[in-house]
Amino acid sequence: MNAIMQPGFWIFILTMSGIYGIFGLGLQVQYGVGGILNFGHVGMMALSSYTMAILVISHGINFWIAAATGVGVAALGGAFLGLTTLRLRGDYFAIVSIAFSEIVRYVIFNSDNITGGAQGSLAIPAIGEGYPSYTNAWDSIMNHMRDFLQPIFGDIVNREFVMALTIWSTLAVLLLIVSRIERTSWARVLRATREDDEVPAALGKNVFRFRLQAVIIGSILGGIAGIYWALESTLLSADDFLTIVTFYGWMILILGGATKVKGLPFAAIFFGFLYGGTRFFTFWPFSMVDSAQRAYIRIMIIGVVLIILMMKRPQGIFGKRQEMVLE
Amino acid sequence: MNNLILEVNDVAISFGGVRAVNGATLNVAVDSVTSVIGPNGAGKTTLFNLISGAIKPDSGTILFEGMEIQNLLPHKIADRGIIRTFQGAKVIKRLSVLENLMLGGQDNPGDSLLNFFNPKARNAYEARTRDRAMELLQQIGIERFAHEYAGILSGGQRKLLDLARALMANPIMLLLDEPFAGVNPTLVEKLLEVLQDLRTKHHLTFLLIEHDLETVMNISDRVIVMAEGRVIADGAPNSIYQNQAVIDAYLGTRKATS
Repeated sequence: MNAIMQPGFWIFILTMSGIYGIFGLGLQVQYGVGGILNFGHVGMMALSSYTMAILVISHGINFWIAAATGVGVAALGGAFLGLTTLRLRGDYFAIVSIAFSEIVRYVIFNSDNITGGAQGSLAIPAIGEGYPSYTNAWDSIMNHMRDFLQPIFGDIVNREFVMALTIWSTLAVLLLIVSRIERTSWARVLRATREDDEVPAALGKNVFRFRLQAVIIGSILGGIAGIYWALESTLLSADDFLTIVTFYGWMILILGGATKVKGLPFAAIFFGFLYGGTRFFTFWPFSMVDSAQRAYIRIMIIGVVLIILMMKRPQGIFGKRQEMVLE
Repeated sequence: MNNLILEVNDVAISFGGVRAVNGATLNVAVDSVTSVIGPNGAGKTTLFNLISGAIKPDSGTILFEGMEIQNLLPHKIADRGIIRTFQGAKVIKRLSVLENLMLGGQDNPGDSLLNFFNPKARNAYEARTRDRAMELLQQIGIERFAHEYAGILSGGQRKLLDLARALMANPIMLLLDEPFAGVNPTLVEKLLEVLQDLRTKHHLTFLLIEHDLETVMNISDRVIVMAEGRVIADGAPNSIYQNQAVIDAYLGTRKATS
């Protein structure tokens, strides 16, 4: 019980929920607006984080350029996925997208010379005698911010606090941009394609272009989440990008109401609590199982929550029921 | 033959073993109302799907304003000014009635993501489109539903919305698939007025599929009769009534019962 009283616990939950909130926001554009079932979203996270790590560690490239390139590679990944498979019907696209993210993961896992393979980012070949870390630049920024904020907010400000603050500021800005995008006529056309291809096409709209753009925007958001994920974990391994991670994003999306962005931050915090909080469930009845088993309880709870939501409230906490079920 | 806006030459398409359209040849004059009639399964809607690009013909050519369009994608054909409605009326159920109409706006700067940073152009266009859409909604008498989801509309109202949305797209030629089926008689009259008005003011060309012969005979300059994927008769409304092939294929049952 003790852990829940610590500010560090809540800061950890905020950090995680912020990262997965950005991740889920990508799915919101794709599914909530465009009706595109992307089950391979985690692949974009893997592409951006590994690209950034490799550029920094192996090539000594400036962190910001590396991070931007990482997000760019995620966007290209989205474009590739979209161009090759977006002409398939919704459910087929879903299947192929899972395959895409698994291919990315297996390629990372098996490219020892570039990605460090099974040993993760620690085995990425570093230039010179350097230690294979990609967080140096970021750490110094975090430390500067901490030194700046500490006199204002007091001792609660540490590296983790600054990290959470940065991530949530990013999420806030991205939420604002996405909600603006979703008020344009571009989003209106995309919403129409969610239901029907023929009508928008008969009105002169290139349905494929709108869908492809939605996938790319979502992939950029997934890529940004990947950069933050890499910075928060400080180490990368191919196993960080299992398909289950995609469904963390889906859970946030469904919980918050897929068609609207306003529920997303709340859903993200709820998810963060399940994700991070269950680690600290050391009290009865959870004390009856060991910590490894407790990790599975987390995934089970997520599954149960999703099932209950689908049954009782398919529109999510904040969504409009009509927009989900109208026939 | 300069006044032909649409020329369909020997077009054929098969689905599996069925030749849905089997060498159909027809043309439509500028600024005219041409009706396609024929029994169920004659290939009328398939013909519309071919003209609007929803499906590609196995053979034959389709010319619009003298240019071949049979290999263009549907949105490219719509860009050229051929706008269609759908049999049974298709509305986007989870968009509001107003949004459905605004979907018809052509060359909307807001459709391009690049103009996200140009809100002035976007908003000006949106405001204009909104006004135009509200005007049309008033004309067809469903303005009170403007902000409701289109999914709550009745079948007849969906028809009206489908038609109005097509008008929003600034068509040169309108393909209307059974626009009056299931619409109450007073509303049909109202619609006919709207269409006549459009024709005289904006010089629109109409190609329509319709089963109600009385309406067809009243409004059409020309009637094309299809049966089994072919054009079996083509001419002025009066001549169609006397055509033996048409009586056999389509009107025959009517004559027998009278």
